[in-house]
Amino acid sequence: MTLLTWVFDSLLGLSLLWLAWRALACPDLFKAIVLFVAFGLLMALAWVRLAAPDVALAEAAIGAGLTGALLMAALAKLHPTEAHDDFTVPPEKNVTKVWSWQWLPAVAILLVTTGLGYVVLSLPPYAAGLSTEVAANLAISGASNPVTAVLLNFRGYDTLLEIVVLLLALLGVWSLNSASLDRKAAPGIVLDTLARLLTPIFILVAAYLLWVGAHAPGGAFQAGAVLGAAGVLLLLAGWRPRAGLMALPLRLVLVTGPATFVIVAVLTLLMKGQMLEYPPTQAGVLILILETAATVSIGVTLAALFLGGDPRKNNRNKNQT
Amino acid sequence: MGAVFTEFPWGVILILLPVTGGMLCFLWPQIAKITGLFIVFAVALLVVGLAWQIFDNGVYRHAVGGWGAPLGVDLYADGLSLLMLAITALVGIGISVYSATYFKHEQAVLFWPLWLFLLAALNALFLSADIFNIYVTFELMGLAAVALVALAGSREALGAAMRYLLAALLGSLAYLLGVALLYHGFGTVDIALLAERAEPSPIIWAALGLMGAGLLLKTALFPLHFWLPPAHASAPTPVSALLSALVVKASFYILLRLWLEIFGPLVGGAGVEQLLGLLGAAAILWGSVQALRQTRLKLLIAYSTVAQVGYLFLAFPLVAATGVSAWSAVTYLVLSHALAKAAMFMAAGNLLCFGGHDRIADLDRVVQRLPLTAGAFALAGVSIMGLPPSGGFIGKWLLLEAALMQGRWDLVVVMILGGLLAAGYIFKVLGYAFTQADVSHESKAVPASMEWAALLLAVAAILLGFLAVPVLSLVSIGDPFGIGEVRP
Repeated sequence: MTLLTWVFDSLLGLSLLWLAWRALACPDLFKAIVLFVAFGLLMALAWVRLAAPDVALAEAAIGAGLTGALLMAALAKLHPTEAHDDFTVPPEKNVTKVWSWQWLPAVAILLVTTGLGYVVLSLPPYAAGLSTEVAANLAISGASNPVTAVLLNFRGYDTLLEIVVLLLALLGVWSLNSASLDRKAAPGIVLDTLARLLTPIFILVAAYLLWVGAHAPGGAFQAGAVLGAAGVLLLLAGWRPRAGLMALPLRLVLVTGPATFVIVAVLTLLMKGQMLEYPPTQAGVLILILETAATVSIGVTLAALFLGGDPRKNNRNKNQT
Repeated sequence: MGAVFTEFPWGVILILLPVTGGMLCFLWPQIAKITGLFIVFAVALLVVGLAWQIFDNGVYRHAVGGWGAPLGVDLYADGLSLLMLAITALVGIGISVYSATYFKHEQAVLFWPLWLFLLAALNALFLSADIFNIYVTFELMGLAAVALVALAGSREALGAAMRYLLAALLGSLAYLLGVALLYHGFGTVDIALLAERAEPSPIIWAALGLMGAGLLLKTALFPLHFWLPPAHASAPTPVSALLSALVVKASFYILLRLWLEIFGPLVGGAGVEQLLGLLGAAAILWGSVQALRQTRLKLLIAYSTVAQVGYLFLAFPLVAATGVSAWSAVTYLVLSHALAKAAMFMAAGNLLCFGGHDRIADLDRVVQRLPLTAGAFALAGVSIMGLPPSGGFIGKWLLLEAALMQGRWDLVVVMILGGLLAAGYIFKVLGYAFTQADVSHESKAVPASMEWAALLLAVAAILLGFLAVPVLSLVSIGDPFGIGEVRP
């Protein structure tokens, strides 16, 4: 390790700690979210330095980008009438009492950190894990990017369940709230033009990430996140889908990913006897189909999460009144 | 014919079917109720099929993707998993029948997909042999459970759901950190391979600490139970039944599995069992006293869950000397508590629906006016108190016997005190149910299916008391408790 990378890594680590602390301690929630997004971006850099570009892409797209957008949307719902800079955490009534108890979790966290630090230092510096097995079976997995091979083939079952988790998250949000589909006026010509220009580019980038995932960092989650970002941008620019599309069509798109997974699982079960056991010659095609379906579902789910409620429910209420 | 039954991949379908059902309910809300009921009954039939298969072939193993551990994920089912799947299916049927009339309109549209995804998560969890896959099932289970609590829509329910979400996420994160450490240390996330490869090291202790703390938080063992009473009390009734009967048991099941397979043989005798036993004893006393102090029925039942969870942990310090009988006791307690507590929450829900409130002091002669529900509550209470003949009695008797054999008089006293306190809070409710309240209230009719669902589950909890021999021989398939080997 050269001196330069050493300095860079130390600065990166210290900035991460500082940003995390600032994001937690900042009473202004808007500022806290901005700090959180900055934290996510630096975290992505840290993953790059750890030679995990797939995680870095996911962290930048989901951890920093979409989570930031979701937090902002939540903040806007907390106090819709007030300007963002007025919104701060209300001061605690009995600050002294709260403060006197804060040492307890602090001590607990300190103990856990010390223990973990000791354990991490006692670990062997390099553990092969399953990388040799993954490399040995990569040729018949249908993907030359080991991350994609693990996610879509070796441990495809985990990914099946994860995609259902995402759908479930949206279902949870929908059970709490309904969303308005009233077309909003564009906040300004700049955002409007930007959205028009960027959306096709985002879709193109998503398609590229999806395609490249077979042999290089990328894949369904990253591509889906970029697609979701395009949706968020359109929603920000005031675009709203037609109400007629909100019932079955939207839901069909949302279940495309998990449904494709389940169908492939059943088909492979019938043909090969094991769930998600792909024939090696067709593995590449199957993975591409699964990833494409997952990308569309992930993208639409993330955009729908940003919308923050069940768009159909709102419609129905309107019809009743 | 026989070959079809023994070769059919029952376990895989047990996971895929409720996932598919959840998606169908999501797509076509109009048919959600029918789909949901159909899927739940089909799942019960699949469990029967899996039981047949396990009787014939021994333990069930399915290498997902055809890779096999350590590269792929394995599904695995022995007697213990089978019993957990069976109790999930049985309680699931009761809850579904109850919910079919309980939820109406918008709530029903949201309930069915969430419940079917939760069912899929539970089945996947009980079938998993892979600690990372278990984490994924925890995510699925936790999100579904939180959304179901929030379905009640009330202010308390939303607050409780938020607290539940944070507790569940914290538990999952701690668990995941342990998974990462174990993978780094031993190069696999398969439970059986970890059991072979693991050796005493700081990693094992750190992983035990993290995963243990995470799972105890999810299981709501005292003093990590803070999230449970508000969440279980403010959720819609069928959801309260689900959470107390099944969801809490799922994280306990994983804790038990990890302890039996990985951690127990390595760190047994170092005081971890004693700590768990101590916390269990504290949970019994604290939960029972709190239950006795409650004025609202659903909160009383929720605190009773805190107490009954404590009994499960008393087995840990007792196993060292008495071996399998303590684990049999735990199995029995898990099963009978699942049935009895589901029945009890449903009975409480009926009373809530009947009188529009769940204030214990205003129950006002429900025994005459709602005899089936009062009967369900009383029968479930018999099992919770541990009176013969009931599943709860067998469980507590086996546990008491183990404690006596080992001369653990402290635990004997705690168990007897817990039983007396349980009798106290059950009879407190029944007492008010017999007497006339000061003020009479308006009452609404309770649908018959809701009354019968509660009663039948309560009867099942009693009947479990007569099935000790078959149940205990079933659980020994695949030797989940490692009777063969001598424990330190």
